[in-house]
Amino acid sequence: MRRRRFPWVSYLVVVAGAVLTVVPFLDMVMTSFKGPGEAGRLPYRFLPEAFGLANYRAAIGQLNLPVLFRNSLVATALITGSVLLTSSLAGYALAKLRFRGRDFVFRLVLSTMMFPPFLFFVPHFLILVHWPLAGGNDLFGRGGAGLTVSIVALTMPFLVSGFGIFLMRQFVVAIPDEVLEAARIDGAGEFTVWWRIVVPQTKPVLVTLGLLTFVDAWNEYIWALLVSTADPDVMTLPVGIQLLQDYVDPARTMPVVMAGLVLSILPVLVLFLLLQKHYVRGVMLSGLK
Amino acid sequence: MVNVLAPGTTGRARAPETAGRRAADARGRARRRQAVVAYLFLAPALLFFAVFLVLPLGFALLLSMSRWAGFDLGGIDPVGLDNFARLFADGSTFLAPVLTNTLLFALGTVALALAGSLLVATCIDKLRFQGLWRTLYFLPIVTTVVAVGNVWKYMYEPGGLVNGVLNAAGLGSVAFLQDPDTALPAVVVVQAWASVGSAVLILTAGLKSVPGSYYEAAALDGAGPLTVFVRITLPLLRPSLLFVCITQFLTGLQSFALIVVMTKGGPGDATDVAALEMYRQAFSYGDWGTASAAAFVLFVVVLAVTLVQLWIFRRKGEDA
Repeated sequence: MRRRRFPWVSYLVVVAGAVLTVVPFLDMVMTSFKGPGEAGRLPYRFLPEAFGLANYRAAIGQLNLPVLFRNSLVATALITGSVLLTSSLAGYALAKLRFRGRDFVFRLVLSTMMFPPFLFFVPHFLILVHWPLAGGNDLFGRGGAGLTVSIVALTMPFLVSGFGIFLMRQFVVAIPDEVLEAARIDGAGEFTVWWRIVVPQTKPVLVTLGLLTFVDAWNEYIWALLVSTADPDVMTLPVGIQLLQDYVDPARTMPVVMAGLVLSILPVLVLFLLLQKHYVRGVMLSGLK
Repeated sequence: MVNVLAPGTTGRARAPETAGRRAADARGRARRRQAVVAYLFLAPALLFFAVFLVLPLGFALLLSMSRWAGFDLGGIDPVGLDNFARLFADGSTFLAPVLTNTLLFALGTVALALAGSLLVATCIDKLRFQGLWRTLYFLPIVTTVVAVGNVWKYMYEPGGLVNGVLNAAGLGSVAFLQDPDTALPAVVVVQAWASVGSAVLILTAGLKSVPGSYYEAAALDGAGPLTVFVRITLPLLRPSLLFVCITQFLTGLQSFALIVVMTKGGPGDATDVAALEMYRQAFSYGDWGTASAAAFVLFVVVLAVTLVQLWIFRRKGEDA
């Protein structure tokens, strides 16, 4: 076979694309080091005059970053844990347990994926506001702010995922029945079978689902914004940073905002770089994001 | 735990049919217990879908045909299809510019992301270190919309990177997000930028499934790179391209978080899209009825596109 020439054009295209992809991130990092009056000044300069950490200190102080981090982390952990647990249990039941109504429930799970999220912002918010006997509400959901004034509100619409159940079911189906049957003959109950066999056997796909859920929950903005307007104490990182951006003079605060953004995206970026094979597989499994 | 097999061992000495019935009983009990366990395992999910899927859908449908101030559930006032009628009445901004903006936003995103990802995917396929490139192209996907929106918003400013490049090239500055003519395209570019990575992933997977022998045969026939691309790569990539097209289009129809961060629908209503309009009707104006009606109109559009997608891929499946 003829030796292939070095693919110059391809390299050029891919590198140019990669530069276009990465430059905004670099601009964010560079701006986060720029001094007062330096950002937004004409003519534009990419590099800061000096690499000071003043903006990072300001971000931590002005943005109350520790609280925002805690809220984001608690909400993300609750959502991820709940999605993994409920998807695995339901996936096992739908894949390996025999019961009346199984096909119906499976079809129901599939149909939940048809409804786009925007359809639910209004009713979810109203349901949480009028949640009976919570946040000062009476039995008929009147009088108070309902569940919106608690960190649980951040998580509630995301605690179960139709896609997660579907994904787990597809992978649990592949476990041979003989393995499960052998455990049952040894006297294991269904819960033990699930915990001792199904969970270990599906660990890779659990990592994938967990990672997808974690990234989505950490980055979620619209719902967190709604809940935070009802109760600023449960504000998450994206909401808190956007708030600073909206209400203070942009030219002066932009470097501080960028510093806050750098800190807020770091955990997810690190997690992605460590586990990217799992994440990429997840995107393949879920279609497009 | 109760040992269900225990009674069966004493029954072995008795008449065979009794033993058989007992065994059947035991099997029946085991099956019933499995059903109980199954519903126990499914209970959290089913409960969730009842409260956060079925109930909200019914509630939203009710609201879309009501007027309500939002306080007392008893104060919901049914008005039939008035909310829908008002959305499409003369002088309403919903049809134009809101719905047209939505379509332009979705179509623009698809066109840009598809062109970019097709170019990159066909080139990446020929290179080494594909994992490294993929990692770089994936960065925007794992980044929160607040970061993406703010960085680009800042880059579009007069003193930002984009205008810096324009000025360096001897061109004048453009007020991208402040000019009604450029605001929507400017936001489309960002949405496309953020979605190229996953499209590249899908298309690269599609390219991998094209047999290498096709390319060798084409090379033997002396076909140039452009001919190979148009005659071999594109037709064989069609399922992947179609998939990227439709899923990206669906995402484009629904997404508004980026617009909330970058322009809040402005200037004027130059970047107002349907999902954002729904959001504002509800949470800025407290008009829950109109908001819910707008949500259902958009849902019908999304559903129609989804059904077209299912229909196309089902037909494809039958062809194969």
